[in-house]
Amino acid sequence: MRTSATPRSLGWLLLPALLVLALFLGSVVLLFLNAFWTKDGFSLVYFRQIVERTDYHEVLLRTVSISVVVALAAAVLAYPIAWLLWRLPRWRNLLLVIVLVPWLVSLVVRTYGWLVILGPKGFLNEALAWIGAIQSPLPLIFNDLGVVIGLTHVLMPFAVIATLSVLLQIDTRLEEASESLGASGFDTWRRVVLPLSLPGVFTGIGITFLTSMGAIVTPILLGGLRQKMAGTQIYQEVVYNFNMSKASAWALCLLLLSGLGLVVLRALEGALVPKADR
Amino acid sequence: MNGPMNAPLVKLGRAGSFALLLFLPAPILVIAATSFAATGYLRFPPGELSLRWYLEAATDPRWLSAFATSLAIASIVAVLATAIAFAGAYACHRLKPRWLPAFELVVMSPLFFPHAALGVALVNVLALTGHLGTVGGIVAAHVVVTLPFAWRPIAVAMARIDGEIVEAASLLGADERRLALGIALPLARSGLVTALLFTFIISFDEVTVTMFLTGPETTTLPVQIYAFIQENASPVLAAISTATVVVTLAVVMLLERLIGLEFFVAHDPA
Repeated sequence: MRTSATPRSLGWLLLPALLVLALFLGSVVLLFLNAFWTKDGFSLVYFRQIVERTDYHEVLLRTVSISVVVALAAAVLAYPIAWLLWRLPRWRNLLLVIVLVPWLVSLVVRTYGWLVILGPKGFLNEALAWIGAIQSPLPLIFNDLGVVIGLTHVLMPFAVIATLSVLLQIDTRLEEASESLGASGFDTWRRVVLPLSLPGVFTGIGITFLTSMGAIVTPILLGGLRQKMAGTQIYQEVVYNFNMSKASAWALCLLLLSGLGLVVLRALEGALVPKADR
Repeated sequence: MNGPMNAPLVKLGRAGSFALLLFLPAPILVIAATSFAATGYLRFPPGELSLRWYLEAATDPRWLSAFATSLAIASIVAVLATAIAFAGAYACHRLKPRWLPAFELVVMSPLFFPHAALGVALVNVLALTGHLGTVGGIVAAHVVVTLPFAWRPIAVAMARIDGEIVEAASLLGADERRLALGIALPLARSGLVTALLFTFIISFDEVTVTMFLTGPETTTLPVQIYAFIQENASPVLAAISTATVVVTLAVVMLLERLIGLEFFVAHDPA
């Protein structure tokens, strides 16, 4: 409802938010400027590097493929959790705490936890050695496997929340109708619940893909400095080489690849998700 | 409702889902267990218990100062982001500008930025203004990162306010100040509390963007944890990490008590 005389001066209240957005947009403009203006003026040298150097291709390929695997794994593993919370309304608040706290705890702490579990002298290897299942420690970290395990775990809560919020919107009468027409519980899930919940699954995949593309801490700690992802490369350029132009060029490539990934995901969603009439 | 054939299947599904759910806090529980182990690492079977790592952490000025810095930054960020979002969302609520959907998209846009790219972008601008490695720079960056998380709960709460109440108050002679602070503010308080606590915890635990912005003088707790893991994985880290988990858990429980957690899974009615 708009009151009859809404004073224009209310617009001033938007000023602080506009300043924050100006800071953000200004930083994006500088990102573009720095990526193309190096010490020697306008130059495409860092973009040419990315296009030409095969070791950089490897980094970008690893970044994209790990992010795809992580996003899919997180979606698949998160679905049953979201389903459980949806089916147990009475316990939902407590179970939600179990999802939200790991999500909000610093990802450096969660990654450290995986280091303690998966390391050569970690909990898992010690336990396996103690029961006599292995002779020498399994190489679970400082490789792509460690990064995938760590990132999947770190990002799963996002996928749970995205899926659950869509599940909660499903009209329970649809389920009842399906079951009263003779469909089994599993059939009802497969033919009614799953298609209706797919938009949430896709939202989750989008968020986890994006976050994984921009990850730094988990890839460095669980993958090491040799199994680089784009985030590792960017961080090294800024903190160790002080090369802002190169870091900015990499950041733009990362943005481009993330955007492309989301476009592909949208197309897939359009093809897979039945158009609902609401 | 389910046929008799399905009952075991459903039970199995539930048990499996529950196991997956417990997978989420698992690494955190392992760290907490490690922090109480006298040996400093998790043995199998477990050894003697002790609080020595907590004592060591509590007497190390580096950890105390990082902890204090993180608490201070998170508090300032929470108040700033919530106030900025309230002012902006209130103006939008009253003015109902035609460009509102586009504006809200811009407000939310940092969410679509991979954090590594956002970190570099913010380093660029803070280096220009000379705020790298300062509390002010980190606060500014955190406000950029957290504003979307403050905006949404407040905008949702604002949308639920009955417009006629505001109109009635206005007709009865309430001035603009009174309308904003006396009417809208208390009516939107669930959104405000959610925004305050949510942004506090995001700022307190943020590491990926912050690690670009810290300096020799100023560092936050998560960034210092990261630096120490790289140097030497001392068991003190487990105690410190557990402390951050306790802070996070406390804030989530407070939110659950005060407002509830439905916001996180509710679909945006606005």
